Amino acid sequence: MAIARRLLVFFGVWIILAGWDPVSWVIGLPAVLFASWVYGRLAEDSAAPGFRRMFAFLPFFLRESFRGGADVARRILRPRMRIKPGFQTYRMRLSQPAARVLFLDCISLLPGSLSADRHQDVIHVHLLDASLDVTPELADLERRVAAIFGERLEPHAYV
Amino acid sequence: MSLLLTLFSVLSIALGAFFFLVGTLGLIRLPDLFSRLHALTKTDNLGLGLVILGLLPWLPDPFTALKLVLIWLLVLLAGATGSHLIAKRALRGDGEDLTP
Repeated sequence: MAIARRLLVFFGVWIILAGWDPVSWVIGLPAVLFASWVYGRLAEDSAAPGFRRMFAFLPFFLRESFRGGADVARRILRPRMRIKPGFQTYRMRLSQPAARVLFLDCISLLPGSLSADRHQDVIHVHLLDASLDVTPELADLERRVAAIFGERLEPHAYV
Repeated sequence: MSLLLTLFSVLSIALGAFFFLVGTLGLIRLPDLFSRLHALTKTDNLGLGLVILGLLPWLPDPFTALKLVLIWLLVLLAGATGSHLIAKRALRGDGEDLTP
């Protein structure tokens, strides 16, 4: 059932990108099959993200994308750039592989933060301004990503 | 109405192009690899998003609109994942030719 759903999604993606031309399936068919297989391997037992929940995430995502771009542009355009780069670490509670990837990618879209490395549960986040603690923002983003995949987060062991 | 729509498109696309330009400027101005990745991922996301937003009202059918939005999402995914991988390699020092 999961496989059928994946195939359907990737077939849809290919049709949108390449159109109905039957010749395109020379590339498309292997690509769709391979994508479905790789997705299964990488996502393992991740829950499929719900479409409605993804739509609920969209306004937040668009707003943060805009803030992120505007923020970095403002910093760059100052005659004396207002940056103080540095690293912070964050312990992530998400456990599903697909949810983790989405979380890491979304960190890089939030204003001023970039997911730089990951060791097990600990993410190293690079910040354009490392003087502020970004833990609350990351926790908020993590909660939203968890909601897409219907995952329940354990409360932080420490505060 | 059509004038308003044209105005909206021109503004949106110009703003998108502006963000691409700022991203490039950031690539030159920012001091280190990690900060440069910030500029690239975020301004590309916003720049391409705005250009596509400006194009949406002029497309012949919703199918093409879906295609453009999908392209935006794929670029986002590739950009964010790529920058994470570059940063990871740089941090662990196991890339090639990373000497400053």
